[in-house]
Amino acid sequence: MELTVRIQRYDPEKDSAPHFEDYKLDNVNKTDRILDLLNRIKWEIDGGLTYRRSCTHGICGSDAVKINGRNRLACSVLVQDLKISKSRIQIEPIPALPLQKDLLVDMSSFFEKYEIVKPYLIPKDAPPERERYQSNEDAELLFESAKCIHCGSCSTSCPSLWVNENYIGPAAFLKAYRFIFDTRDDATAERLDLIDSADGLWRCHTIFNCVEACPKEIDITWHISQLKKAALSREI
Amino acid sequence: MAYRQVSSKSGGALSWFLQRVTGVVLLFVMIGHYLLMHYNIDSGHTYSAVLSRMQNPFYKGLQMTFVVVGIYHGINGTWSVVRDFKLKKSVSWTIYALLVISGVVFGLIGITTLMSF
Repeated sequence: MELTVRIQRYDPEKDSAPHFEDYKLDNVNKTDRILDLLNRIKWEIDGGLTYRRSCTHGICGSDAVKINGRNRLACSVLVQDLKISKSRIQIEPIPALPLQKDLLVDMSSFFEKYEIVKPYLIPKDAPPERERYQSNEDAELLFESAKCIHCGSCSTSCPSLWVNENYIGPAAFLKAYRFIFDTRDDATAERLDLIDSADGLWRCHTIFNCVEACPKEIDITWHISQLKKAALSREI
Repeated sequence: MAYRQVSSKSGGALSWFLQRVTGVVLLFVMIGHYLLMHYNIDSGHTYSAVLSRMQNPFYKGLQMTFVVVGIYHGINGTWSVVRDFKLKKSVSWTIYALLVISGVVFGLIGITTLMSF
């Protein structure tokens, strides 16, 4: 099939503002990934097209882009997964982060917020001789949140971040959940102090954009609601 | 953008919780209000009918709750929306002051009106 791929282009050295350019591709298969289309454009039409990709198998989370208006991983979406009108698909960078070039955004602030919730185990006791024991039931509480690949699709799809760049965002909340509900961790109060803040948990209005955008199908809003309950239970 | 870490003192857990509680209370009070005042012809809407209804301490209490809970829910909800935006501190405080003052003024108007019956 023939397909037109409309891509947002921006070269900070040449352009004053981002603009769209159309690329016509033939022999596109329904089972082609969107990343395959981007690769074809880069390798066969315009070598200057800039985007991130690494593992290309939905694990590294580096190729999150906005496809037909929704944040997704370019390597995890097939052409047949999209509703295509007028034989055209549109690809833009994920929003709310500083644009560097074409589909490339500066992820620094995303990872700063990720680090602020201390994304590592903080146990009170010295390391035991063997592992820190955790029951299957306790571990199950964490499995879903631990699936996060830090692609940024959730945080950048959140309207609260669009209006307030300082909002901590769903990805960092999910990581906070991962350790707050870890029975081996002893820094719950410290982490709750960080997210129970003016730009923290209470700016989440359960819009569910993050859930819709998550390529790993994590129910992020549910995890945030558990954090809200934990923060609230400290006050009442 | 450097992330600005803010203190937990200005969190908002309690106001978030009260917003939900007042929302649920308002839902039931408003359904009662509509059923009684707008869908029940027997309730009566003349001055004397309103006056006699207001003599009932339960009804007066219900209206008082309506005023207080409604104003809290409205003011707190508006403040919550304002807090979503990254505003200058002076702008934020001005809006906060205006909201508190309008809440107090509307609250006093509502309560004094109810007490006059």
